[in-house]
Amino acid sequence: MPIIDVHAHWGPWPFHMDVAGARLNLELMDRYGIDLQVVSASEAVTYDAVGGNAALREVLAGEPRLRGYAVVNPNRIEESAADLRRCLDTGRFVGAKIHTTYPGRAIGSPQMREAFAMLDEAGVPLLLHTWGTDVALLPGLLADLPRLRIIVGHAGGDAWQEAAHAAADCDQLYLEHCRTVADAGRVAYARKAGVPVERLLFGTDSTLVDPCVALGVVRDADFTPAELERVLWRNAAELFGLPVSE
Amino acid sequence: MTAYPWLTPSPEEHVRFDVDVLYGPWPRHPYDLDLAAVRDRLAHSPVERGLALSTRGALFDAAAGNAQTLKDLAGHPDLLPVGTVDLRDALAAEPQLDALAAAGVRFLRLFTAEQGAPEPDSPGYRHVVELAVARGLVLLHDGDVRRYGPALADRGAQVVFLDLHAYFLADFLLLARREPGFRATTRMLSAPDSVERVVESVGARHLVFGSRTPFMDISPQTLRLRYARISAADRAAIAGGNVEELLA
Repeated sequence: MPIIDVHAHWGPWPFHMDVAGARLNLELMDRYGIDLQVVSASEAVTYDAVGGNAALREVLAGEPRLRGYAVVNPNRIEESAADLRRCLDTGRFVGAKIHTTYPGRAIGSPQMREAFAMLDEAGVPLLLHTWGTDVALLPGLLADLPRLRIIVGHAGGDAWQEAAHAAADCDQLYLEHCRTVADAGRVAYARKAGVPVERLLFGTDSTLVDPCVALGVVRDADFTPAELERVLWRNAAELFGLPVSE
Repeated sequence: MTAYPWLTPSPEEHVRFDVDVLYGPWPRHPYDLDLAAVRDRLAHSPVERGLALSTRGALFDAAAGNAQTLKDLAGHPDLLPVGTVDLRDALAAEPQLDALAAAGVRFLRLFTAEQGAPEPDSPGYRHVVELAVARGLVLLHDGDVRRYGPALADRGAQVVFLDLHAYFLADFLLLARREPGFRATTRMLSAPDSVERVVESVGARHLVFGSRTPFMDISPQTLRLRYARISAADRAAIAGGNVEELLA
């Protein structure tokens, strides 16, 4: 049974770790049985969206097990929209990624609304970094954007309860629980709040975080075999239209 | 269905001592877990024994919490009692530390995050640390190692940092290079090379296992130990040998 990781990165981070290089992505994928990984460039997330996306385009051309997120900077929406098209045209990018911290834009900001509208038109899923109670704004923000599907990255971080209720209220939201701080009971809480297993996705934050952290969360969630199949790959394959051999 | 190796615990996940176990009410959490529930959670995990205390001492009444911990854990050899004092009332610490020492308690947990995040050079915090170190207690210390580490250095203190994040590993390693008594839990050393970097640069003796049960999932942490690219001897030290050394 395959595994699709919908939240990963390629590239270095400014911490005491050596995690750059697609070779490490693949080594970790092999170690844990991950077949496909959707990555964003760390340079694009933290520094230069267009430059980082360009570097990732080159990497993806030679790595068939990796797919890409084009990072969108909500402060440069026209530039990002054009860059997203460039990335999607390669056939190797399957969605967009927006971080909230590095561009300094909260989920409720006007810039983020504009970015959401642009992505609704583009028709690709968005992996959104969520960390805080403003995740609760998402159902309202999506009310007039019927095509946009958002992966709630980190499932709200420390606001995981608010993220669960937001996802329960809006079927355009998918929860993805990767996080270093693995609060117990997040998945069970979300399901009890009303989030169906069809809207739970598996992500790791690799190579910033070792994938075993997210796999441990899956293990402790006690999914049935059928649910495991949904969470580990089938939901992602359907959302992104990814070909996966069972 | 193809079996996933990581779905089943392996012997490399076995933990002899978990230094970070709590039980009792926690108002911000969606539900409370009493001692029985915590013991049940540990019993279904690869963790064999833990160092535990009641949340009463952290959030409400240190003396009553210590008394409750000692009473509750008296019949549970799988859980060793940890004491605490309230950093908001350092003047009460001295008799409480004497009582803990008399009861044979070896570990003192400090809850800076829950008790006003005292400045590391504040009189109350310094007083508690001095009293604890003088009594040979091992400090189980929450909070940011960059904030509290320097204040705990140069005292010959035995300290376990419970909240070391992979992002701040360089700061911990700089401290650990000159502080043989500084240790950290692996809980948030989540990068693919965090545990390995500690082992390679200052040695496995600076790491212990601390899960923060019941508030954190255990499997992410035992899996990290299992898949760490370290020797079996280093893994065994982290999984319990280092704590056993502190208890000896």
